[in-house]
Amino acid sequence: MLAVQIVIAILFILGIYTILNRKNVIKIIMGINIMEASLILFLIQLSYKDGGTAPILDKEYELIVDPLPQALALTAIVIGASTTAVMLFLAIKLYKEYGTLDISEIRRLRG
Amino acid sequence: MTFKKVYSLGLIFLLGILLVVTFMNFNQNNFNNNYDLSEYYINQGVQDTKSINLVTAILFDYRGFDTLGEATVIFIAALIISLLTKRSTSSLVYNNFSPLVYQNISFIVPFLYIFGFYLIFYGHLSPGGGFAGGVVIATIFVLLTITFGVRRTREEDVLRAKSLLENLGMAGFVIIGLLGMVSGYNFLANGQAGFYLGEAGKLISAGTIPWLNLMTGIKVGASLSIIFNCLVREVE
Repeated sequence: MLAVQIVIAILFILGIYTILNRKNVIKIIMGINIMEASLILFLIQLSYKDGGTAPILDKEYELIVDPLPQALALTAIVIGASTTAVMLFLAIKLYKEYGTLDISEIRRLRG
Repeated sequence: MTFKKVYSLGLIFLLGILLVVTFMNFNQNNFNNNYDLSEYYINQGVQDTKSINLVTAILFDYRGFDTLGEATVIFIAALIISLLTKRSTSSLVYNNFSPLVYQNISFIVPFLYIFGFYLIFYGHLSPGGGFAGGVVIATIFVLLTITFGVRRTREEDVLRAKSLLENLGMAGFVIIGLLGMVSGYNFLANGQAGFYLGEAGKLISAGTIPWLNLMTGIKVGASLSIIFNCLVREVE
């Protein structure tokens, strides 16, 4: 269990490092997505039980995992997907306007 | 290595240590076994909603209002992207594949439709649901656009039909929620409003949950394919 949590922490700080230190807009979006993936992994890890199966109560279930974090993870996935779409769209617009994706070169406002 | 880089590296390293220490606290307090709300859902969920998939029961019954907000987020994302795209007609680069690709895609499309609608209609009985099924249906349009190009599919008419479907899904969700209010209970009420719940494990059961799943599936499929169409159009 601790190994999974260390992986989650590493993924999270990897995402934050990417956001802070990269200049390319696409790489920043990738960093945000890595952070989001670590969050989903964290929610799944919260609901984990040894030997548990998916939370579907059909005839032959014995032990099921916690259904609540899975529902929250679904919400997080959907919202992450839509925000990623908007971010990529804005990146396309930026590239068309400035001809570059480097945030240190995108300075002037052009109307 | 500049000072700024070392500084941010140090801060991030501290954050990582903080996260690991917090997780170790979680382990020691044995958080995993003390969720009262989850216990309630596991013990009472099937009796309350007659949906054997507990995740669907939580999403579309106990927390249906959250799901409406979630659907609104996708709706707004599609709205932003389609509003900011230019209306000028631009065509995707028309790829010439070998005939094998066209044959295979034409062959696979009906099966993808069946798979998507199976995921939607059996959302309360098996893994899946409106969101997953909607995404599968959206991939059909993505595949068709990539293989056959944009022009083949009379773009404007298709886009208008898709936005109509999206509005239908959104309005249908709200109308099903209002049915609960009309019968004198809360918004999105299901079991307590006396709707026909049926027998747990059957296809027609669980009151409004399959209908909400259907509406969500239509909405998600239409929204995601609108987003894809607009992104393709923007790239040229």
